[in-house]
Amino acid sequence: MAAITRVFVANRGEIAVRIIRACQALRIETVIGVSEADRESLGARMADRAICIGPAAAGQSYLRPEILVHAARGTGCQAVHPGYGFLSERAVFQRKCTEAGLVFIGPTAEAIESMGDKLSAIRLAREAGVPVVPGSAELNSEAEVRSAAAKIGYPCLLKASAGGGGRGMRIVRSEGELAAAFSSARAEAGAAFGDPTVYLEKFIENARHIEIQVIGDLHGNICHLFERDCSVQRRHQKLIEEAPSPGLPPARRAEMAEAALALARNVRYSGAGTVEFVYDSDQDRFYFLEMNTRIQVEHPVTEMITGVDLVQEQLRVAMGEPLSFRQPDLRIRGHAIECRINAENPRSGFAPSPGRVSQWSAPDHPGLRLDTHCHEGYFVPPYYDSMIAKLIAWGEDRGEAVARMLGALAEFRITGIHTTIPLHSEVIAHPAFREGRVTTRWLENEFLPAWGEGAKLAP
Amino acid sequence: MPNDDETLQYTLSYRDAVDILRLVKESEQCASLEIQFGDMKLSLTRAVAREAVAQSVPRNMAAPTAAPANAPPPKASAATKGSSAGAAAALPPGCVAITAPMLGTFYRAPTPNAPPFVKPGDRVKSGDTVGLIEVMKLFTPITSGVAGRVVQILVEDSMLVEHGQALVALEPD
Repeated sequence: MAAITRVFVANRGEIAVRIIRACQALRIETVIGVSEADRESLGARMADRAICIGPAAAGQSYLRPEILVHAARGTGCQAVHPGYGFLSERAVFQRKCTEAGLVFIGPTAEAIESMGDKLSAIRLAREAGVPVVPGSAELNSEAEVRSAAAKIGYPCLLKASAGGGGRGMRIVRSEGELAAAFSSARAEAGAAFGDPTVYLEKFIENARHIEIQVIGDLHGNICHLFERDCSVQRRHQKLIEEAPSPGLPPARRAEMAEAALALARNVRYSGAGTVEFVYDSDQDRFYFLEMNTRIQVEHPVTEMITGVDLVQEQLRVAMGEPLSFRQPDLRIRGHAIECRINAENPRSGFAPSPGRVSQWSAPDHPGLRLDTHCHEGYFVPPYYDSMIAKLIAWGEDRGEAVARMLGALAEFRITGIHTTIPLHSEVIAHPAFREGRVTTRWLENEFLPAWGEGAKLAP
Repeated sequence: MPNDDETLQYTLSYRDAVDILRLVKESEQCASLEIQFGDMKLSLTRAVAREAVAQSVPRNMAAPTAAPANAPPPKASAATKGSSAGAAAALPPGCVAITAPMLGTFYRAPTPNAPPFVKPGDRVKSGDTVGLIEVMKLFTPITSGVAGRVVQILVEDSMLVEHGQALVALEPD
């Protein structure tokens, strides 16, 4: 069993704060690597030590495995927590950490590679008998795309093989759109991931995004912690997540969870991971999408309904301890909703809105949780993603969670920058959301166009 | 002294580690210290801010040492908590600093037994190498951007330095 007394935090923002808090609860010291722009961040102030790893640009700081490993070794850490994003799903970082004698808080490099690459993950899913969306192999020419599309049928979706977060994705509704979509998807995938490879899959019109949280230890135990529904999305970026899903029959939930566990067991998965599915609500069928081999942004909703601290559990697993629970110990209790609050102006095409936070007055009531690195006077830097806080509301049932979230959003005052709070208030209050009918394209195709019209009519 | 290793039963307690750190801290000359008995290895390097900071030895990447587990929290002083060492280093009057272009291990000399690139009092031209920074066995020369006289080396040899940390105080011509 590896004793871990000091953890290196290889991330920033709210997740860095989250990791430091989990370490503090387990009496583990923390060292955080910060860019020049994050020297004065909350994470830097909370950690036992902050060390500057490079300039503001992530490519020269948070995305440099060798610098982070050197900093972790040089400051006497035994383990590295990669958070989400940045290097969290890069097998090369996992390997560099391991080679340097550091425990990477996450799965093995082999698991990252086999599940992180979408095509390899889909192959593994097929082998495990998990349904996958009808799709193609890697496509390298327009002719290949054309013949694959003819087989799968329109509409179909072009996706980056190394990708995530919606980059490199294009919906192709007819053969005429194919050439332009192929070249732009390739260009975007190449720019975002350094790999232009794309593939094609069936496009499901009324889809819900439902994912299963899993966690495994180094002794072969693996549990699922039910599902999260992340159907409120814009440009494939999640805005609101909730657990449990309001639109999933219990029988389907059980099947999905079994499928997720089968996949995870196949790669001897350890640590926290998420198996993502698309749920076709017209057909009542689900298909495997991909697996994320890291802690996710939306992990708090699962924590709120299960009472499990996933980040602390990650740390315990890394230390070689068995999971602190067994599957029968886990129950869904109540309902939780999370709003990702971004420094963006939703009334102006979601334009990024970095800058100084002049007022920050957050709601604080029982049943609410706020995961953030922001505070009054904080300067939201323009170099990183725009998420500034995650507001989570819990209730005995979904109605109570919705009411609590609406109250909290109305009370939350942030000035100096634009935020997505006004958008969240209206989405949560919308009948389609209240009735649990939203699909992954609802926000963009129905809600936002109507909301834009409303703004124009307003005085 | 018995030289039968099997009879030696040393253990290093937290208290011992604190005492060692205190002795190093109070010493005027001691910049670094290595103690090894059995498979236990304690390696210390003194930071510029006169704090004793426990470090693993970057030149010996092979075996992770047990030392960090016994070391005190990495930042002892609340005053410097969260702020970088680069910002904390005070420059002698009339001097400019040559700063670290990246995080890494700072070396004053090209090899462990070679004389240092520069020492206080030396004159340097623009472009002269004043040290090396090593990251994952890759060495980057640190060069002076101006001509002048070296006044002070602000960082101990083999120490982990931050991006932007002041390394050498130089009085420009």
